[in-house]
Amino acid sequence: MKWATRQHCHVDRAACAWLIHRFIDQEAEFVFVDDPEEVPADATPFDISGVELSHHGGECSFETFLRRYELDDPVLWDIARIVHEADLADERYDAPEGPGLDVLLRGLSMIRADEELLALAEPLFDGLYEYRKRAILLGREPS
Amino acid sequence: MVTDSSSRRAKWVLLAYRLPREPSTPRIAVWRKLRRLGAAQLLDGLVALPLDSRNREQFEWLANEIVEASGEATLWIGELTSAAQERELAAQMAAAIASDYRALVEEADRIREESPGSRRRSLSRLRRELRRIRARDHFPPPEREQAQRAVDSLAAFVEEIVA
Repeated sequence: MKWATRQHCHVDRAACAWLIHRFIDQEAEFVFVDDPEEVPADATPFDISGVELSHHGGECSFETFLRRYELDDPVLWDIARIVHEADLADERYDAPEGPGLDVLLRGLSMIRADEELLALAEPLFDGLYEYRKRAILLGREPS
Repeated sequence: MVTDSSSRRAKWVLLAYRLPREPSTPRIAVWRKLRRLGAAQLLDGLVALPLDSRNREQFEWLANEIVEASGEATLWIGELTSAAQERELAAQMAAAIASDYRALVEEADRIREESPGSRRRSLSRLRRELRRIRARDHFPPPEREQAQRAVDSLAAFVEEIVA
C-alpha cells in the first residue's frame, strides 16, 4: 500500500512510518508531499492537518494510529506516551525520554532526506520497543 | 526613492479562532497550550508566533483541536507593515518571558535556604521549569543567561553541600 505524509519528517511521522511498516503493512511505500493537495489518489495520508490519521483530541498521529487499527499492545501504548511528549511536550504524560527522542530525530532530519531518515529510525524504534517491552515484563528498567 | 523593506521584516504565523463559551474545558486546554507555546495574544481570539516550521505545525494542530471542539479557526502567515510595531511586539514578548526568568532566579535564591533533601528536589523542579520557559522563549532577553547561571550555581551549591 502507498502512504503519504508531509516532507521533512520529525518524530511523530517517523514513529508512524515505523508502526505502519512493522504492524500494519509490511509492503508499505511512503511518499512525501509539500502540500496536502499533492497526496496521490492511491495513497493513505497521515500526520497531515485535517486527515483521519492525524492529530485528534490533543493526541498525536501515532496515538490515532493505535486507536484506528485497534493495536492494544501495551508496549506500543507505552511508546505512544514517549512519542506524544517528544512531539507535543504538553506534559500530558510523564515521559522523560520524549525530549531526547525529539532531539535525536530532529538532528537526523537535518542531515538526511526523508527516505533515509525513516530507514535509520526503524532500528531506533525497534530498540525502543524491545527496551520498553523488557521494562514492562520486568516491572523495572532493564539493564 | 522608496525602498521595499518588507523582505527584511520577520514573518509571523497567526491563529484566528473562536470557541464556544461553554464547555470551558476546551477553552482552558487551548489557553494552556498557547501559554506553553509562548504565543503573543494580539486580540481576543488572535494569537501570533514567529514563523518557523515548528510553530506553524503546533498552530495547525491547535487549529484542528479548536475545530473539533466546535470552534472556528483559521491560520495566517503575515508580517507587520511597520518596523517599529514589529520591534514593539518582539519587545513585549521578550519582556513577558524576562519576568518568568526573573521569578526563576528569585526561586533559585529561595531554594538555598531549604533543607538539603528538599533542595535537591527543588533543583529538579527548577530545571524542568527553566526548560519550559526556554521552550516558549522566542526573543531571548539577557535574563535567559542569568536564569541559566542561577540554576547552574544552585546545582553546584547542592553538590558542594552533599560532598
